[in-house]
Amino acid sequence: MSELKSLGKPTRRVDALEKVLGTGRYTHDLKIPGMLVAKVLRSPVPHAEIVKLDVTPALKVPGVVAAITSEDFVDHGNWGFPVKDDYMLAYKKVRYVGDPIAAVAAETEEAAEAGLQAIVLELKELPAVFDVHEALKPDAPILHEELAKAQAEETTSGELEDAEFIEVHGKGNLSETLIVRQGDPLSKLSECDVVLDAAYSVAHQEHAYLETEAALAVPTADGGVTVFVGDQNPFITLSNLVMTLGMPGKVRVVQSPHTGGAFGGKSDMVYETAAQAAMLAIKSGRPVKLVTSREESMIASYKRDAMEMRYRLGATKDGRLRAAKIECWADSGAYASMTPFTSWRATIHAMGPYHYEDCHVDMMCVYTNNGYSGAFRGFGNTEVTAASEQAIDELAEMCGMDPMDFRLKNCVELGDTLPFGQKLEYSVGLKQCLERVRKISDWDRKRAEYSRQPAHQEIRRGIGVASFFHGLSLGAEGLDFAEHTIRLGEGNKFEILTGLSDFGQGSRTVFSLIASEVLGFPVERFQWLPCDTDVVQECGPTVASRSTILGGNATRLAAMRLLTQLYDAAAMMMGCMVPEVRQEGEVFYGPAGQRVTLDELIAYARANHIPLSAKARWEMPRIHWSFAKGRGVPYVAYHFGAQVAEVEVDRRTGVTKVLNIYAVHDVGKVVFPQGIRGQIIGGISQGLGYALMERVEFEKGYIQNPNFDTYLIPTAADMPVVTVEFVESELPFGPFGAKNVAEPSMVPTAPAILNAIYHATGRRIRHLPANLERVLLGYDLKDTVTTTVCQVGVCERAKCEL
Amino acid sequence: MDERVEVTLNINGEEYQLEIGKRWTLLYVLRDVLNMTGTKYGCGTGDCGVCKVLIDGEPVNSCTYLATRAQGKEIITIEGLSKDGRLTPVQQAFVETGAIQCGFCTPGMVITTTALLRRNPNPTREEIIAGLDNNLCRCTGYVKIIEAIELAARRMRGEA
Repeated sequence: MSELKSLGKPTRRVDALEKVLGTGRYTHDLKIPGMLVAKVLRSPVPHAEIVKLDVTPALKVPGVVAAITSEDFVDHGNWGFPVKDDYMLAYKKVRYVGDPIAAVAAETEEAAEAGLQAIVLELKELPAVFDVHEALKPDAPILHEELAKAQAEETTSGELEDAEFIEVHGKGNLSETLIVRQGDPLSKLSECDVVLDAAYSVAHQEHAYLETEAALAVPTADGGVTVFVGDQNPFITLSNLVMTLGMPGKVRVVQSPHTGGAFGGKSDMVYETAAQAAMLAIKSGRPVKLVTSREESMIASYKRDAMEMRYRLGATKDGRLRAAKIECWADSGAYASMTPFTSWRATIHAMGPYHYEDCHVDMMCVYTNNGYSGAFRGFGNTEVTAASEQAIDELAEMCGMDPMDFRLKNCVELGDTLPFGQKLEYSVGLKQCLERVRKISDWDRKRAEYSRQPAHQEIRRGIGVASFFHGLSLGAEGLDFAEHTIRLGEGNKFEILTGLSDFGQGSRTVFSLIASEVLGFPVERFQWLPCDTDVVQECGPTVASRSTILGGNATRLAAMRLLTQLYDAAAMMMGCMVPEVRQEGEVFYGPAGQRVTLDELIAYARANHIPLSAKARWEMPRIHWSFAKGRGVPYVAYHFGAQVAEVEVDRRTGVTKVLNIYAVHDVGKVVFPQGIRGQIIGGISQGLGYALMERVEFEKGYIQNPNFDTYLIPTAADMPVVTVEFVESELPFGPFGAKNVAEPSMVPTAPAILNAIYHATGRRIRHLPANLERVLLGYDLKDTVTTTVCQVGVCERAKCEL
Repeated sequence: MDERVEVTLNINGEEYQLEIGKRWTLLYVLRDVLNMTGTKYGCGTGDCGVCKVLIDGEPVNSCTYLATRAQGKEIITIEGLSKDGRLTPVQQAFVETGAIQCGFCTPGMVITTTALLRRNPNPTREEIIAGLDNNLCRCTGYVKIIEAIELAARRMRGEA
């Protein structure tokens, strides 16, 4: 590859200026004349039948202009993908505390609040279930009776091809089962010299994007509606609006210029917010803005799923991994949302990036009345890696091996085959990541030194490692493409049109850099625009860290086409043949010393009706995964990485201070250095929170910590010194070799910290988060505080359970 | 309905005569009455810091500060820091170091930093971290924000 001009060079974020000035507009900031304020009535109970719901009294409240229920939507606003189990406003039942029931639009917030108070709502509470194992019992209350019935019929009709799959299907609250199958791990485990059998769990995690969900819906002259949102895919918002409002061709979705964070969380809840605002706008004929309060957002929005996992791993006594039998239960909460997909990704990554002879993974997605779960950075991989990388450490210890040596011995390399049958053909830099992180963290010296700390020492240090992989983009979930246009705009700038959102991760800058690289123009020559479904092409969702690869390639191809147009125009303008045109930056030269600047060329093109606008679509290589057989190619290629955490634990207080994180990631190629460092460190902070403090505390379905005073996320004081390095293994079909980075950055952080805590204290904490109590006592007082105040006896029970 | 009162607020050097609800927060007045939306809403409980403004030079969470209380005081919002679109050294450093990702915490961070560096032009890293204890950021992991503050401090002392 010839030397790069723009990529990998220091560059500033293209949209930073208006953010730092405070002039950049977020959805919260949008305001137009005549705008009404909307508020949503939400379920006060975890599970109930709606006996009576009458919003007409609300309409009599002064200032209230419109009020809606599920009756106002097509098919009661039934929606959901991949399982159509949700409603824009609850229909017949509510299934979690916070489930939206009705919404009003009013002239003022006070009137809207009074409107909600006036709504007549009668609920008949139903038995609820808050534990995945309880939910799978035959007598458990069922959340989705109709789906359960349909599923039971499907199972008995024997349509599914694989008996193993059917075995776990069709139990009331089981929304989905995902599997991986290779050989017979149970038999193999019985032959292994060393076998680990351990249970792990991770807690619900809140995205805590600082901008809560919001939508502004504006009625249009043709009787339709335009909705302004900050979401992760305006086309999914659009299709859900079209379906539930029933107005094809009359809905437009525009993303606000800026969105205050997403991390996977600006999907389903935003679709609902958008639909509620849109319906109120249609009913009232006025613009309607709906902004959730922080408590409302934290109670009503989906979380990272809590998961329980049982790991049985077997190895030879000299530390060669042989078999894995892994069973997981994902708490889907009240609706499926993305849990079937996060769980699928979890099954693929549950074994980690290692060689095995035989393995089985079984993942059950279970409905409960604990809020609901969906997409969150790492998308299932964060959950299972928190367990698997601890299990690997435990097994290494049983073999008497250094955890780094154990991983290096078992990790996959280029040309190796993953346990589900996929040969790794591209870009595998895991070994280099492990070797590099070992060096920069001074692993061997610190590991030996901390292992020698005297038993009586109360403030103890430890060092731990976690390595991992993370499949690129959507994988075999579905068609994976992006289509970009680069067109001439105002001020002779080229506008990059994309359906991919930038909610802070930096994709606008990445696309500008790639266009700059291909066309040879400075980054300032390019202009970003927010997504507008009337303007841009669908690009699929902005999820799965797919923007750089998909959008980057679409940008690259569109830029190449635009360059062809520019050369054609230059040849015409200079009266020469295209191959005679030579370009240096923004100047084009002809064979006889002719010289035209880009601005002159653009003026010529405008005068001569030569379009300077190119579009290109790029699609990922197609792959196939058999969901029934649990085998195939789930992702074309993978991000690899390893992080080392160094901690100091005060054994008297349980306080864990993370001193250092060393992160080495194989990202294919660094495109936007400042941005990629930000992604890695930001991911690490979320991983640190996941490891040590973050847990949405559900008590019989009620969230106990619905704001930042009780749901703690890391502050500046919690952050360690972070050292970031990259391995560039160059993905052949990545744009200039680049791979994914946003999600993977947080995946290994929690287990690296947990392994370091174990190294420091000798106490293995298999249940996240490793808060003060767990580090100090080995169990969490809150685990038992469900109905009664915690007493000593109750705590003893928890100790046994853990 | 909340009782209305007349107030005069000095915001970014300009006087505003307003009739407002007695219990309206300064944040509500800034965003919803005056349409100064650079100051953000994040939690409503004074825990996240995205609504910080300077009141007589001190960073204050405007979401838990009643607007009536701000009478007779000098209020500076993010919109009032830069003159004629020219960035302050703090803003410039935030842009250059990549301390801005989604940008929603940025106005609050810039306000807090501005006050911090006025009080302490030569802060240690620990003092910077202590100064950020009431400003949350979910994107950056804070490291680049701390680097931005260090850079701004060096420049304001004429060292860079």
